Formats: sequence, C-alpha cells, structure tokens
Amino acid sequence: MPGEPALRVENIHKRFGELEVLRGVDLEVGKGEVVCVLGPSGSGKSTLLRCINLLEPPEEGEIFLEGRDICKGADAPAGESGWHVDFLRQRIGIVFQQFNLFPHKTALENVTMAPEKVLGRSRHEARAKAVELLERVGLGDKLDEYPERLSGGQQQRVAIARALAMDPHVMLFDEVTSALDPELVKEVLDAIRELADEGMTMIVVTHELGFAREVGDRVVFMDEGRIVEEGAPAELLDDPGEERTRRFLGLVLER
Amino acid sequence: MNEILNQYWDFGLMAEHFDEVLDGFWITVQLSIVAGVLALAWGLLLAVLRQLPGKPLLPVRLATIAYIDVFRGVPLLIVILLISGSLPFLPLPEALRIPRWLGKPDTFWYGVMALTITYGAYMAEVYRAGIEAVAPGQTEAARSLGMSHGQAMRNVVLPQAVRKVFAPLLNDFIALMKDTTLVSVIALNEVALVGRDIQSSAFNSSALTLGALMFLAVTLPLARLVDRLIVREQGRFSRTAPRGAA
Repeated sequence: MPGEPALRVENIHKRFGELEVLRGVDLEVGKGEVVCVLGPSGSGKSTLLRCINLLEPPEEGEIFLEGRDICKGADAPAGESGWHVDFLRQRIGIVFQQFNLFPHKTALENVTMAPEKVLGRSRHEARAKAVELLERVGLGDKLDEYPERLSGGQQQRVAIARALAMDPHVMLFDEVTSALDPELVKEVLDAIRELADEGMTMIVVTHELGFAREVGDRVVFMDEGRIVEEGAPAELLDDPGEERTRRFLGLVLER
Repeated sequence: MNEILNQYWDFGLMAEHFDEVLDGFWITVQLSIVAGVLALAWGLLLAVLRQLPGKPLLPVRLATIAYIDVFRGVPLLIVILLISGSLPFLPLPEALRIPRWLGKPDTFWYGVMALTITYGAYMAEVYRAGIEAVAPGQTEAARSLGMSHGQAMRNVVLPQAVRKVFAPLLNDFIALMKDTTLVSVIALNEVALVGRDIQSSAFNSSALTLGALMFLAVTLPLARLVDRLIVREQGRFSRTAPRGAA
C-alpha cells in the first residue's frame, strides 16, 4: 500500500497511578525512515517506545502497524489482552538501555532462543542466521561467550542481533548507549547506523545529538508527555522553533 | 559420670544393633528422597501457578496462596495423622489407592504424602523468592521477542530462579530429611522408631545416638555444600554488573 506508514500511533495516553506520562502522542514513521526522539528524562520517550511495544499497554489511543489496527477495540479488555500482541511483537524489535541479555545463555543461544521457540525454526536454521547476525555486529568470535564475559558494548550488540533474529519490520532503540562507558558508545552506534543504511525502519530514543543529526531522517522533541516539535535534524537541532527545545539543546551541548 | 556416658555411648549396644538401625536409616533415606523429589516438583508447580498472569486466573492464584499459607501454618505431625488416620476409610477409586507394587508399607506412602504436601508449600515460597529475584528486564526482553508468558517463564525466568535458590532448596531438603522421623508415630520402621524400640527394651539410648550419627553423616556434608553454594552465588551476584557499564 503506497503512502501507508510503517507505523502510526494516534493519541497515545499512559498513566502510572496519578502521573500521566504520555498525554496524547501522535507519531508516524514511514517505511525505511529513522526517527530520533530527544527530550529530557521523564519526558515520556522511553514510555512511548514501551507503549508501542505493548510492554506498557496504553490506556487510550491506537497503534497501526503496516496499516493494521493493533487495538482490539474500545470494549476490549484493558492491558495486554486488549491488543494484537503477537502480531505486533513479531514485527517490532526493541533494544533496551540495560541490554537485558539472558545471563544463563551464551551469546549465540541468546540470539537463537526466540526464533526456535516462537517461530519454530530448526536449530540449524536459527543457528546459521544467528551466526550471520553476530558476525555482522562484529562478534563472530564471541559466539560461545556468556554475557558476563562480554563488555557492555559487546552485550548491547548481542542484544541488537537478538532482536534482528526475529526479522522485525520496525526496530525500537531505547537509550541503548546510556549505560555504556563513553569509549564503547561508538561501536553500538555504528551497528545501528549500518542498519539504517540498509533501510530498516526505526525509532531511536537517544541523547546523542551527533547521531541524530547524521543518521536521523527526522527528529522529534518530547517534553512532559507530548511531542513539542519535530522536523528535519539540521533544522530542529540548529534552529528549534520552541523555547523548550532550545533550552534542552543548550543543556545537552553544554555537557 | 560413667552412667551418663554409658546411657548414650554404649558402643557394645551400638555394634549389636548396628544392622537394625542402618535398615531403619535406609528407610529414612528412601522416604527423604521420594518425598524430597516430589516436594521439589510440587513446590515448583505451586510457585508457577501463583505467578499466572491475568484477571481470569485470579481464583487459581488465590487458591494457591491459600494452600501455601495453610500448609506452612499447620504442623507436619497433624498432617501425618490426618492422612494416616482417615485416608484408609475414604471411598477412593482403586487408581488413587496406595501403590503396592513398590513393596512399601502404606505408612511409607502416608509419610510421602504428608511431607510432599507440607514441604511443597515451603519450597513454593523459596521458588517464589527466586522468581522475584530475576530482574524484570528479563521477562520484558523475552516478551518483546514474542514469547508467551509460559515460554518466558520456562526458558528465561525459571532457569535463573532455580539457580538462585538452589542452596535454600537444599536447606529445605535437610529439614525435610530430619522431619521424616515424625512418620515414626504411625509406626513406619524408620530410624527413630527402630532406635526407640531398642531404647525401651534395653533401657539405654545409644541406638538413638547411633541413628543421630547416621543423620549427621548425611546432613553435615549437605550443610557444607549449601554454604559453598551460597558463597558461589554471592560471587556471581557481585559480578553481575557488566564490564564497561557506567
């Protein structure tokens, strides 16, 4: 369907008790587009990704993936069961700030587990694909290492390979370099950049302005649960229209 | 002084009855292993039932919690008496009757049931602690990869949880093994009853001392093993922060 965005979210609301973390977010991501989301901590960026993935199902709003409405309807039960979770999760991959690798499994097993258990791929097939993916992120020599023996940057690259093994149509990155020592950031960003070059559709929540400028097709600035403004990276980063964006960028650049 | 020593450490009496006491201890070991394995499995099942997600399964969770609370609170001895005193008179189908083909007396199986019911509840709590100690990010990662709740439990959460609580579970097994002596009240010929029979005919407690020594021969190494496992597990915890993480 030409013109149909890969992912569209409409009027997403999310509350944690009294606190309304997302107050009506609309976002469209075109096929092959890289959208970078910036904003101060607590602005709802991570929650937005977790809502899209239904790890925190939104209370209100709709999600369309490749034209399909993921919400089962207004009278559907609240929480996860009100959504077409399987359809969505098998097409959207997410990488977390804290990697969340399975510590009792080797790098290779981390990558093969879901394809074997969820997609029913043969061990041989899953392994071949995992080896290819781990080689692609530069870890072909670490297949049989356990996560605790890998550096943070290496762990995060395994996590990227693990998400890619499910053949996602859209990838979400949730501050994937924030828990890393500075010298390890580049290797992870390089892996994401390569994915972008290959045409993967993705939403990247990040504090790396340089990365957003270089790799992002569009930058979105969030604050207090809303999208404040969005635009082409160069435009938004060099000449933000909103005072709040300007203040935030000023603070980040001062670091 | 000699009187006291002789009352508990009459080596002649110990030697004379060694085989009998050992036979009794062998029954104790069999009872411990059968009930221990069943309690480990039953406790795991209870812990998993307790973690089932969603509103429709709330009754299952509540029933599980009620079971665990009740059998952690009722003395094992009373459970043994409730089972052994009334089970033979209940109108049960033949398939649910005591298995005779294994050649064990009914009292052995009453003991297995009571120990499994009670220690299953204890062990369910230990498993729960282990499940809750697994970082929530693990479940999220598994679920985000498309795994169902059951798949995430089986492949990601439980393997880590069981590893974390292996030492406490072994502790419960030691406690279970000691509690098998309570089954002597329904006349199962395990080590405590054998020792008591000798005690009351010889007016000397040395056979029971011998039984206690046999217990120690098993429980002391197990306790040391528990200590070593705990140290190893703590070592693992201190290394969980990945190298290169800020």
